Amino acid sequence: MANVTQVKVPDIGDASGVDVIEVLVNVGDEIDVDDSLIVLETDKATMEVPSSEAGVVKSIELKVGDKVSEGDLILQLEASQASGDDASEDSADSNESNETEQTSEGSSTEDSSQQASSEAPSKKKSSGGSRTEAITIPDIGDSEGVDVIEVSVKEGDEVEQDDSLIVLETEKATMEVPSPFAGTIESITVKVGDKVSQGDQIGSMKVTDDADDGSEDESSGDSSGQQVEKETSVKDEPMPKSDYKPAPVTVEPYERREGEVIHASPAVRRLAREFGADLSKVKGSGRKNRILKEDVQSYIKFELSRPKATANTGAAASADLPEIDFTKFGEVEEKSLSRIQKISSVTLQRNWNLIPHVTQHDEADITELDNFRKSMKEEAAKEGVRLTPLAFIMKALVASLKAFPTFNSSLAADGETLILKKYFNIGVAVDTPDGLVVPVIRDVDKKSVYELATELGEMSEKARDKKLTAKDMQGSSMTISSLGGIGGTSFTPIVNWPDVAILGLSRNQVKPVWNGKDFEPRMMLPMSLSYDHRVIDGAVAARFIVHLGKMLADIRRTIL
Amino acid sequence: MSNLHAQVVVLGSGPGGYNAAFRAADLGMDVILIEKYDTLGGVCLNVGCIPSKALLHTAKVIDEAEEMSAHGVSFGKPKFDIDKIRDYKDGVIKQLTGGLAGMAKGRKVKTVQGYGKFTGANEIEVEHDGKKQKVTFDNAIIAAGSRVVDLPFLPEDDRIVDSTGALELREVPKHMLVIGGGIIGLEMATVYRALGAKITVVEMADQMIPAADKDVVKVLEKYVKGKYENILMETSVTKVDAKKDGLYVTFEGKNAPEKPQKFDMILSAVGRRPNGDLIDADKAGVEVTERGFINTDKQMRTNVPHIYAIGDIVGQPMLAHKATAESHVAAEVIAGKKHYFDPLTIPSVAYTDPEVAWVGLTEKEAKEQGVDYGVGKFPWAASGRAIGVDRKEGFTKLLFDKKNNRVIGGAIVGVNAGELIAEVGLAIEMGCDAEDIGLTIHAHPTLSESVSFAAEVYEGVCTDLPPQRKKK
Repeated sequence: MANVTQVKVPDIGDASGVDVIEVLVNVGDEIDVDDSLIVLETDKATMEVPSSEAGVVKSIELKVGDKVSEGDLILQLEASQASGDDASEDSADSNESNETEQTSEGSSTEDSSQQASSEAPSKKKSSGGSRTEAITIPDIGDSEGVDVIEVSVKEGDEVEQDDSLIVLETEKATMEVPSPFAGTIESITVKVGDKVSQGDQIGSMKVTDDADDGSEDESSGDSSGQQVEKETSVKDEPMPKSDYKPAPVTVEPYERREGEVIHASPAVRRLAREFGADLSKVKGSGRKNRILKEDVQSYIKFELSRPKATANTGAAASADLPEIDFTKFGEVEEKSLSRIQKISSVTLQRNWNLIPHVTQHDEADITELDNFRKSMKEEAAKEGVRLTPLAFIMKALVASLKAFPTFNSSLAADGETLILKKYFNIGVAVDTPDGLVVPVIRDVDKKSVYELATELGEMSEKARDKKLTAKDMQGSSMTISSLGGIGGTSFTPIVNWPDVAILGLSRNQVKPVWNGKDFEPRMMLPMSLSYDHRVIDGAVAARFIVHLGKMLADIRRTIL
Repeated sequence: MSNLHAQVVVLGSGPGGYNAAFRAADLGMDVILIEKYDTLGGVCLNVGCIPSKALLHTAKVIDEAEEMSAHGVSFGKPKFDIDKIRDYKDGVIKQLTGGLAGMAKGRKVKTVQGYGKFTGANEIEVEHDGKKQKVTFDNAIIAAGSRVVDLPFLPEDDRIVDSTGALELREVPKHMLVIGGGIIGLEMATVYRALGAKITVVEMADQMIPAADKDVVKVLEKYVKGKYENILMETSVTKVDAKKDGLYVTFEGKNAPEKPQKFDMILSAVGRRPNGDLIDADKAGVEVTERGFINTDKQMRTNVPHIYAIGDIVGQPMLAHKATAESHVAAEVIAGKKHYFDPLTIPSVAYTDPEVAWVGLTEKEAKEQGVDYGVGKFPWAASGRAIGVDRKEGFTKLLFDKKNNRVIGGAIVGVNAGELIAEVGLAIEMGCDAEDIGLTIHAHPTLSESVSFAAEVYEGVCTDLPPQRKKK
């Protein structure tokens, strides 16, 4: 008996509506536990979603461009008797976050059998030189739940590509949904009055397409209980990365036509006045172009974020800075920024613009610490731990955070309240080939140096393997950015909002230090502490860095 | 001389003043309210809107009882106890002003009785019964209102009154002359006529209530024509001889009687003027115009940044509901809110019989401004409800911008027009177009239906009237 398992999106932190940017498997693929299935992109990083099960991919339930959240169905696996059992046992034992659907097995198979019967007729038709394509709602802007006001075709109709299939009415306009292909309508599953959103399937059609290859039909033919939509996912080659474009900024200053009246209710006018928003520049998204409160809010948000948007990568940047033809100076090569670079450029620009930064520099004497670490290195290695200075520095940093609670805080959105954190999670900036990511090590105060060193190693590996989830990169108290392995004497790290401070570490050096009698060789670690001056005063920051220096000079102090 | 200080001092306790004081107090400021009379409420509550409406109610019941005789119900000739009528009106005033005093107390707003005048940029001197008191302030809100315009040629005589005198209802004259065919004069004419006076109205302009559209006012004029003794349009009074047996009035103009006419009482209701000239505003540095107005910005701030002005004293229209809206803005701005006085429209209502109400642009104004407008007019003769109450003289008219079919104005004449106009005001503020109003289901049978019908007339889809010419 075929054992069908549903593989769902695991816990990906708080992120919801995350973009699917790559689908790595095809129907018919045989996959193992932990094989990457899809690649998601959050606002922090990209992550690969591993399979919780082993088996043969029976159907893929999403495609590039979809937005997914925890618990959404990714694909259905047909596990061979033996491997299926193994997989489910494995996952039950090892990973509590895996959604193997063991408990709801009965209901899910019931679902699929229902689908089987309802989809069966259309299935039969798809044999021969033609294929069946799902008809989905294309990009219709931000509109969700748009009314279907007309269905222009019925089953059996022959349509040309771009013929109107149904008519939608949004708040702004009516629009026709064009046929994506030429062919015969097999089914239309929406009716007038239904509400649809981008990506919703509204029916299917038979498309005669000679470029088709039969193998896919075969593979889908195995699984009679398969939805038409799933077949189309098979057709969709994983989209090349370079084709992916981030969603453009939707709010833009609106050029009102000559004589066009502003349509805004008294409360909206009041809101606009309060923020000094010029209503003539706000586009109304309400009925009959009425400007809604939300429109004013997004306009204000847009205006506030403008420096960020214009300093952003891509076309927007050229609005402020002139485009330069570099080829006239010599040979050049264009290379697009990595996805992570693009994302971090926005956050870095925002943080740099919005946070008044001050950087305090100091040196910590880590001679004793380094001697101790070296003396423990072998012992640690026996335990399988690679003992790095960073694990000790994290411990010292937590001791200083405890002494200076404002460093472990965030400024509330109203800018008037400080949120003091009672947890001690330290973010560690990790350089990966794709760019900078900041995984967070949790509860540093409760973990031993060994544990921290081990976890650091794991996190770095995860980062380099693109396995970090959004959750792995949230909830830091403060962040450490270490360039010690490379060099340099000091630098100005940018505060990793919502943190209020970041500790930058440069390469330690043995320096002659005056001990009152003579110069002594001491190992000195250069520290650069950037902080949000709205929250932290200069004097406090100086005290903090001195305190941290003391902790590092004698790590025993941290246990006092 | 004792000294008082408050964050906010409000000069005048009319609808503008008391609302400003209460709003400021609700926003956590300490407030002193200065009022020259011993009751709060200003003209509106004591000698204006409220007492006139109490008397108009009395008049309405008298008239309706009489109209009933045509429906087969006779009550006989009414007997008037003028003292009791006055008591009822005074009771209404007392209840409302007493309520205000209680609300002031509840908000810890300190009231200071006396005549307040500025003595400096942060100082008002209040005089009461010869005693003077200094009140200093961080912010002041001038809400000192307006007063009746006096006609210089009118002699001093008990029988010649202004609106305040008329509301005192000392007696009901046999023949009464109302100088001024504006809202106030016509409302008082309505009251005195119901109580038995023979009314003559004299107005310099060619229509009553000159601000309203002619077609609207015409309904009123037609309705009162048979009820009043005389209506003298485009005519003015040049001379009044106060003799023992009566007031002999000489007229001049288009409809002037040749000989002087004798009246038992004259109501002078030719308008109101702002009190900007009575409060020594210059001592605080506040500029007052020649006509006595104080100019403000849209946040009700005068040329002196911490002194605000609201209500009649800042300009037309001199209406309580405008003052109230301005009062909240002033108090909120003082409290640091970035609020503005930013209405699209302010409704006007004459509580005559029939009532006349309008909001937004009048046709007159639309023409002046060169707006390409269209009209939807629904005559109440086609309203079941209006016919049922035997008042089918009225109509509802809406003005639409032809470019986008949005409602830009409305006028209603008929019973309850003052209540009905509210919907049109909301429609204008919300930017409704004809379709929005027409598609909003109104209860049947009501007079309010006439608003949606008027919109349908504009659209050419009204089925409550004989077939219309197809639009466009």
